[in-house]
Amino acid sequence: MRTAPYGSKMADTASGGSGTRSGSKHATTPADNYYLARRRTLQVVVSSLLTEAGFESAEKAAVETLTEMLQSYISEIGRSAKSYCEHTARTQPTLSDIVVTLVEMGFNVETLPAYAKRSQRMVITAPPVTNQPVTPKALTAGQNKPHPSHIPGHFPEFPDPHTYIKTPTYREPVSDYQVLREKAASQRRDVERALTRFMAKTGETQSLFKDDVSTFPLIAARPFTVPYLTALLPSELEMQQMEETDSSEQDDQTDTENLPLHMSTDDSGPEKENASVLQQNTSLSGSRNGEENVIDNPYLRPVKKPKIRRKK
Amino acid sequence: MNRKKGDKGFESPRPYKLTHQVVCINNINFQRKSVVGYVELTIFPTVANLNRIKLNSKQCRIYRVRVNDLEAAFIYNDPTLEVCHHESKQRNLNYFSNAYAAAVSAVDPDAGNGELCIKVPSELWKHVDELKVLKVHINFSLDQPKGGLHFVVPNMEGSMAERGAHVFSCGYQNSTRFWFPCVDSYSELCTWKLEYTVDAAMVAVSNGDLVETVYTHDMRKKTFHYMLTIPTAASNISLAIGPFEILVDPYMHEVTHFCLPQLLPLLKHTTSYLHEVFEFYEEILTCRYPYSCFKTVFIDEAYVEVAAYASMSIFSTNLLHSAMIIDETPLTRRCLAQALAQQFFGCFISRMSWSDEWVLKGISGYIYGLWMKKTFGVNEYRHWIKQELDQIVAYELKTGGVLLHPIFGGGKEKDNPASHLHFSIKHPHTLSWEYYTMFQCKAHLVMRLIENRISMEFMLQVFNKLLSLASTASSQKFQSHMWSQMLVSTSGFLKSISNVSGKDIQPLIKQWVDQSGVVKFYGSFAFNRKRNVLELEIKQDYTSPGTQKYVGPLKVTVQELDGSFNHTLQIEENSLKHDIPCHSKSRRNKKKKIPLMNGEEVDMDLSAMDADSPLLWIRIDPDMSVLRKVEFEQSDFMWQYQLRYERDVVAQEEAILALEKFPTPASRLALTDILEQEQCFYRVRMLACFCLAKIANSMVSTWTGPPAMKSLFTRMFCCKTCPNIVKTNNFMNFQSYFLQKTMPVAMALLRDVHNLCPKEVLMFILDLIKYNDNRKNKFSDNYYRAELIDALANSVTPAVSVNNEVRTLDNLNPDVRLILEEITRFLNMEKLLPSYRHTITVSCLKAIRVLQKNGHVPSDPALFKSYAEYGHFIDVRIAALEAVVDYTKVDRSYEELQWLLTMVQNDPVPYIRHKILDMLTKNPPFTKNMESPLCNEALVDQLWKLMNSGTSHDWRLRCGAVDLYFTLFGLSRPSCLPLPELGLVLNLKEKKAVLNPTIIPESVANNQEPVNSTNNHGQSVGFQNTEDDHLIKETASSISGHQQGVKRKADMPLGSPLEPGQILEKNEDSKVKLKIRFSNSQEEEEIDMDTVHDSQAFIYHHLNMLERPSTPGTSKEQSSGEMNMHPVSAAPLSVFSKESNSSKHSDHHHHHHHEHKKKKKKHKHKHKHKHKHDNKEKEKDPFAFSNSPASARSIRSPSLSD
Repeated sequence: MRTAPYGSKMADTASGGSGTRSGSKHATTPADNYYLARRRTLQVVVSSLLTEAGFESAEKAAVETLTEMLQSYISEIGRSAKSYCEHTARTQPTLSDIVVTLVEMGFNVETLPAYAKRSQRMVITAPPVTNQPVTPKALTAGQNKPHPSHIPGHFPEFPDPHTYIKTPTYREPVSDYQVLREKAASQRRDVERALTRFMAKTGETQSLFKDDVSTFPLIAARPFTVPYLTALLPSELEMQQMEETDSSEQDDQTDTENLPLHMSTDDSGPEKENASVLQQNTSLSGSRNGEENVIDNPYLRPVKKPKIRRKK
Repeated sequence: MNRKKGDKGFESPRPYKLTHQVVCINNINFQRKSVVGYVELTIFPTVANLNRIKLNSKQCRIYRVRVNDLEAAFIYNDPTLEVCHHESKQRNLNYFSNAYAAAVSAVDPDAGNGELCIKVPSELWKHVDELKVLKVHINFSLDQPKGGLHFVVPNMEGSMAERGAHVFSCGYQNSTRFWFPCVDSYSELCTWKLEYTVDAAMVAVSNGDLVETVYTHDMRKKTFHYMLTIPTAASNISLAIGPFEILVDPYMHEVTHFCLPQLLPLLKHTTSYLHEVFEFYEEILTCRYPYSCFKTVFIDEAYVEVAAYASMSIFSTNLLHSAMIIDETPLTRRCLAQALAQQFFGCFISRMSWSDEWVLKGISGYIYGLWMKKTFGVNEYRHWIKQELDQIVAYELKTGGVLLHPIFGGGKEKDNPASHLHFSIKHPHTLSWEYYTMFQCKAHLVMRLIENRISMEFMLQVFNKLLSLASTASSQKFQSHMWSQMLVSTSGFLKSISNVSGKDIQPLIKQWVDQSGVVKFYGSFAFNRKRNVLELEIKQDYTSPGTQKYVGPLKVTVQELDGSFNHTLQIEENSLKHDIPCHSKSRRNKKKKIPLMNGEEVDMDLSAMDADSPLLWIRIDPDMSVLRKVEFEQSDFMWQYQLRYERDVVAQEEAILALEKFPTPASRLALTDILEQEQCFYRVRMLACFCLAKIANSMVSTWTGPPAMKSLFTRMFCCKTCPNIVKTNNFMNFQSYFLQKTMPVAMALLRDVHNLCPKEVLMFILDLIKYNDNRKNKFSDNYYRAELIDALANSVTPAVSVNNEVRTLDNLNPDVRLILEEITRFLNMEKLLPSYRHTITVSCLKAIRVLQKNGHVPSDPALFKSYAEYGHFIDVRIAALEAVVDYTKVDRSYEELQWLLTMVQNDPVPYIRHKILDMLTKNPPFTKNMESPLCNEALVDQLWKLMNSGTSHDWRLRCGAVDLYFTLFGLSRPSCLPLPELGLVLNLKEKKAVLNPTIIPESVANNQEPVNSTNNHGQSVGFQNTEDDHLIKETASSISGHQQGVKRKADMPLGSPLEPGQILEKNEDSKVKLKIRFSNSQEEEEIDMDTVHDSQAFIYHHLNMLERPSTPGTSKEQSSGEMNMHPVSAAPLSVFSKESNSSKHSDHHHHHHHEHKKKKKKHKHKHKHKHKHDNKEKEKDPFAFSNSPASARSIRSPSLSD
């Protein structure tokens, strides 16, 4: 009769139980051993409580389930208590934190002292003291620096040195102009070649040699529907470049518009003047937007509605 | 035009005066490429019995003509559709050119003729007699026009507006008749009302002011109403319709720019400069821009880059560019300036007749030159003048002269001013395109000569006077008869010059305007130490074709140690030697600065000088005030001094060219110094590059140091620390940009002792390509990269070929492999990141052709043909076509030639069609004196057909075909045609046998002449030559000729040597002569050809037969009869006695006769364009357009013949 509810409970927590079981079975690391020992103590607690309650035997699964519940309960108390203590800006929980927690969890705290002093209680030996498992340091590189004298000891330790210390590389960075240019050139060349080869491989090609189509593959010429667009409009890349250079050399930008003038006139003297004149001009055209309403150009006038038909 | 005539004012060749014209285009269908509309001409008769109105119209289908709302009968006859009407076997270009000139004359509006002849309804005769106004209303349509109006309809999805479809008017000279009926003359001015109904998404741009734009009732279309109140010639009317983006000029709100969708940013940049041109012209002419508005339209597939019309200009869209493009910018601005100059002279001020064209072209070219001088500087201007002068000189010496002001007053062909040419210069439409461009070039050069004579101030005053007269006239009503003031004539122009300047420029005009040819000077000198005199000898060559004798002043500038001195020599008939006293004693020890012409004083190293002579250099005609070529001899050191110290760029360029002949270390030094000098004009420095390359090649065995220009380039453009790497591009300084572009190209021309491009140079260029880095540059480097590819191409030398082995990859030269690698990469990258105007593709294609030609890569036109297809950018197509043309020549490929000729006939882009012919002419597969397997009868037929009837829709194209025909076959009968197999020919009409005219010996030919015609001396010379040619060829190639003859016989299943076709051919031959002679006499007597033909047609029609003797009253027709294959009782053709083969004769006769009947019948149907038949005849209409002069004349509908 008493076993029945545990059976149902067991079914509920079956998955959880099996999870922990499988975990414990394969436990090999010291950390796992630590947790295992704790759990075993809890199991003993549960068993003794059951005995106290008058059970003579219990299915293993039922015990397991109850252990699980107890563990959860205790964990929750700890977690909650920690929150409360942190909420009040402390690091160590006090008794009152526990009390509040218990109250919050719907536990009648008043009953606790009486329960603790009950006569038939069983005392279990304290679990063997096992070492707190040492979390292996993921990456320890070098020694942590000790605090200098002016920093109080409770302050956190310095982080691992590699997180803040500049690591010297073994080779000098390439700053040689020649090498850089060389590199940039060959890089671009390689990219271009790879790209064009790829395009040639995937599309139609033409060849200069009848017997060999792969050595110098030419992407086949394909007529456009509107040939002048690609020919006249700057490519996106160029547009991008233009914007970049524009922002960096705003002063120079304007005198492109004057360009042929410079071809014959000697040099920079008039260049500046023109630039300023043109800047005025561009600003003029900029302010034009405002005037646009004033411009009376027949092509900007609205199209008239047809007149009502005359006699017809 | 006779000048005296001009003095009296303008006399219209028409019996009426046009005052106003309405053009209304109701419907434009882009899908079908058709146009429907009507025109209405308001005319005032000027003679009482005006019963016919002749108008110009080509291609238009005319539905209905009404005069004052009364239906009117009309005839449409265009003799230029098919020039030589009969299946002439003569194939003689001389014959063709004459016939073509006659055909053009027959419809020439300046002679009062036209293709469309409208009969004034008899009900109106009384009205006409009172000289009251007539309104001629013509409904017309155009279907798939092949010329005059060009449709561009991209083949893609979407509405027409989304596709960017557009249409625009185009053509060469007066070509408005191609798209609406009008008086297509520059001298018939009237006011205009223009209406175009187009899709709501489209814009119609036309001449004059846009009055309003109104939606149609369904709101899907809108109508653009334009008014042009300034009297304008029909030839200056234009139209462009498309989904244009509109840009109102920010500086001048009355100026509007239009471009195709997506190009607005480019348009903004391109036109941002235009207002400065406006300001310049208005300032120098002290005259406002004459029209109230100006429109620029940029369209695709342009006929010419710039076309100026009244108040608007049509440009090629390819002139648009962004701010990143350097090279195109000055070119585009030049085009804009040119177009604007023509607005004043050409559109606003029109010309009286064709022979006055030079004044307009001259003035517009001249003021454009002034703009150049102001914008680009004196150096650029002088360089340009020099360039133009060299061009015209080269052209005239090659072809025999360009005549600016041809006078045809007397009509005497014997002083035909252009007998050296293979075309007539009487009409703009018969001119070779190249001749016309040279004509324009000469015109502005002559204007400059006039300026030299009367000063610029006076010159501008004259222009101002012309303009103010015209603008006063333009605001007058028609009734005031002032409009002719808007026409310029040679005499009027010269009169204002003499009025304004008070100077007599008659000798100058006589020399350069009334006469063709240029002057060729040879100069040499000696220094007479004793007398301290420079003995200058100037010889002239005035006997070669294209030259003329010069008599008059000639400026010579002598730079001496003590300064520069100008001397004006009088060039006279017999004096060759001129003594010029020198100012300075030779003294080379004293260190003193030497004053130059411009007042500058410079230190010179005089060690190179001749110790005895104080002469540094001598220049003949330094101001280019004579149209001349000077070949002057002076020693190398003098040229070197001239190059280093003379400040005139023209002198520097001359010195550079001369130094090519002096490959010495001193020349090398002078050139390198110039190259390095930043103050020096960049074009001179560029020229020096090429000269240096040539000198280096001549000095190859003694050359020391690195290859020419290499160290210089390294110093100027490479990094200081690593001289093998070029700096990242920075083209802010345009002078050095141009130099940087040019130097590698010139360097690649260097050759070592084995005549190969030095490996070092090739690697250098490859490195330039490799390290080219444009990331930091704000200009595009596409032109630079293109020139680097050109440089690669220049470095290619002929492959060493053993036993003509086939070119494969395995035996590829390693250097060529590197070059190919680059070209492949560049060409492929273009597909992904296309460059502006695809300059790189163009250069790659050219380079590939060079590799093919030099035997490194198998010669194959397939690649080029794919790039030449429609749908590629025009520059790419032209480059590809150029390669195909070259292939055709080198490989003598008939297939490729056929492919090209097919393209000439079928390509949608008129410019491409023109250009192919042009390129074939410049780089012909064979020439007239060459044996070639390509030269065969089929080709002759094909080309003949092309120029005879295949190109009637485009004057320029037809003239291009004529040029090509001339280049390939010459003036006379093509040599590849089979020689006549018979010595004797029957002239069936005269029942005579004559010696075959193609083989008539000279003496006989001469004997014939007096019999046939009394006035044909000029022409007969040409014929003798023809016959000479044949005689020579007969002996030279009798075997081949015979073979061809046999072959031909096999083709034609007519075994008999006397088969009708053969006889016919010979008959045609004799007719050729007659026709030409006839046209001569016609000129002289000024017979109205049309009346002749009318009456002739009448006789033909009614008397209905061939053998009838003619009536006494029609004696004139008799002589013309031969032309139209009429029975003729004219003087016997030959001095040979009759001899006939009667059976054959009748055979042939029958044949002939029959053919005629058939023809007549057909035409009878075709030509009744009377409106009653309109509906019935509609399907037949297309045929009507392909008539020819003779047929049309012969079938005047009875209702019209008087």
